[in-house]
Amino acid sequence: MAFEFGGMPQFEAATCAHRSTSKALVKHNAGADVDEDEQQFTGPVPMFSLPRTDNPSEFLHQYSDANPDSKVKIQFAHGTTTLGFKFQHGVIIAVDSRASAGSYIASQTVKKVIEINPYLLGTMAGGAADCSYWERVLAKECRLFELRNGERISVAAASKILANIVYHYRGMGLSMGTMICGWDKKGPGLFYVDSDGTRLTNNLFSVGSGSTYAYGVLDAGYRWDLSVEEAHELARRAIYHATFRDAYSGGHINLYHMKETGWERILNMQDVGPLHYEYEAMKEQSMATTAD
Amino acid sequence: MSSTDKTVLASAGFHGDVLTLVKRIGVRMQNYEYQHRKPMSTPACAQMLATMLYGKRFFPYYTYNILAGLDADGKGCVFSYDPVGSYEREHYRAAGTASALLQPFLDNQARALARIPDYIGRKNQQGVVFEPISKERAMTIIKDVFTSAAERDIYTGDAVDIRIVTKDGLEEHRFPLRCD
Amino acid sequence: MFMTRSEYDRGVNTFSPEGRIFQVEYANEAIKLGATAIGIQTNEGVIIAVEKRVTSPLMEPESVPKIFEIDAHLACAMSGLNADARTLIERARVEAQNYWFTYNEPMSVESVTQSVCNLAMQFGEGSDRESGSMSRPFGVALLFAGIDKEGSSIKPQLFHADPSGTFVSYLAKAIGSGSEGAQTALQDAYDKAMSLADAEKLALQTLKQVMEEQITAKNIEVATVKVNEETNMPQFKKYTHEEREEALTRNGVTTAQAATASE
Repeated sequence: MAFEFGGMPQFEAATCAHRSTSKALVKHNAGADVDEDEQQFTGPVPMFSLPRTDNPSEFLHQYSDANPDSKVKIQFAHGTTTLGFKFQHGVIIAVDSRASAGSYIASQTVKKVIEINPYLLGTMAGGAADCSYWERVLAKECRLFELRNGERISVAAASKILANIVYHYRGMGLSMGTMICGWDKKGPGLFYVDSDGTRLTNNLFSVGSGSTYAYGVLDAGYRWDLSVEEAHELARRAIYHATFRDAYSGGHINLYHMKETGWERILNMQDVGPLHYEYEAMKEQSMATTAD
Repeated sequence: MSSTDKTVLASAGFHGDVLTLVKRIGVRMQNYEYQHRKPMSTPACAQMLATMLYGKRFFPYYTYNILAGLDADGKGCVFSYDPVGSYEREHYRAAGTASALLQPFLDNQARALARIPDYIGRKNQQGVVFEPISKERAMTIIKDVFTSAAERDIYTGDAVDIRIVTKDGLEEHRFPLRCD
Repeated sequence: MFMTRSEYDRGVNTFSPEGRIFQVEYANEAIKLGATAIGIQTNEGVIIAVEKRVTSPLMEPESVPKIFEIDAHLACAMSGLNADARTLIERARVEAQNYWFTYNEPMSVESVTQSVCNLAMQFGEGSDRESGSMSRPFGVALLFAGIDKEGSSIKPQLFHADPSGTFVSYLAKAIGSGSEGAQTALQDAYDKAMSLADAEKLALQTLKQVMEEQITAKNIEVATVKVNEETNMPQFKKYTHEEREEALTRNGVTTAQAATASE
């Protein structure tokens, strides 16, 4: 079994109602000490084939770009700046759009905000496939929750489903740093979830290689009582400055605003190239005013 | 490279994995047609390929894939992948050993000529006339691109296989490259 | 009809000498005890209407759902054992979501029906909880009503699935205790060119005809699947109590007075 990817998922699905594939996952997850009763997501997921070694993640590490000595390098997309913050009018999510593999820019047009449903957004940082795959699993789980219970899932519950899933793969080399943002009965929600199993909630997060730069801008300008326009501008500026300083961030800005009525897309792939000159001009203008 | 009349796959990397992957995609597409009584659409195949690649997340296929075909509206679509199934729909993409060499070439040629949304289109070039790329022009670009790759990439050479998907079906071409 | 049943009606894995599996036929009988459900297909979309037996004035009708959302483009109405239906509904939902997960498009109505029928016919196969199958046939019939989208064209669909795992496509179908009378009424009145509003009227009138109780907004459920004009995507919509009242009066099934009087 170990070498074979578990057949056709749609066949598998046919034999597994509720929690059955989670068992399959656990079966392959020999290294981790997990209690299958803790699994709470509905088995969707195809069984994962593993290298036939005692430590699959170590085996994989040999051939990944994380290992500088390896001749064979399987390079996955990496690198990012993402941010999210709550304020009086909801939650703002903003991201860049660059994917790099080593020093090569693999894409400048990646969609790093995953629209889970009209009231939930997820951001991507780390391994692109890890994020998009597991957030797709999450989207499915959230939809099933909604169908079964006749109401939307809370942001807390959604983020915990994701955290629990990736926790089962701890130590297996998943790389994911995500923010789950939404609006539920409690109002705006913002959670940080990563592949180590961390799950936090706060008013402000930034994730990715460019996060330190984004934090610099955000901390300088963030207030709870920002106006909508101020909030959009703060997020845009923070991403821009991160793309300027962080070589692994760049491309375009995507910006979302989460409101009581669901999310709204504010910036759709705004190129950061021209933005640089916009901010330069603003700087010169303000210097001129100060000089006066 | 492997294909049905509506969907084509270009796959670079470890040839053993390429063969296995192509074979398994073929099985899945055939089974899909039996089960659902319709051929698998290219966008559906694109998502399926992503899940198949991710299914080997902990022992990946060493392959770089580009899937192309027609979408539900009959428009051309190109999907590019990383080895573990992160994918994106794009207008053009180069993959494989010469990808870093060819992608900028395409950025310059194809991007300038294709009617691509403004946010990518006009970038880094001024005074560009935007017009849809004709099939002949696309062929010329492809041949130029591969000739250049054969010139500078030791792993590229001998010949290039070209497939063209249109609503009328599939066209196949082979174009010789330098053989050294 | 049941002359030779004596030895052969216990197991689900033995044919009678006449070539029948009695347990499956009994399951079909169980459905004929169930509340009536009606589905009608039109070019605009599909409507389903179901009778709900309110057995006690202290019972809360909303707690016994008869129509289920499988996905945005797909509704399911049931007649028969409620508990059995839940297993099948869960399967349908999971299958539809798994299909979306793998192919990034909605699962076709027929494929969902097929996958539910695959479960329905697994009875007796050393049932384990994992597979969801049971030692006996499911005592429930289902109507799957939905819309398949192929490019820009829409294809309304209506399927009937029974305990044997057989499914058949219908333009209009009635199941449950009043199904015989209702099916005849549908056959007489059905018109391929009818609008969804016409279908609503036909469904409610037919339901009124075959229901033992007086029809009110409280003892029926109604839902449609049609294209949402804003999003241009198929959309499941279950009528609220007020919408049911309106529909009953609008179609002259009950007078406004009667609807209020029944409160």
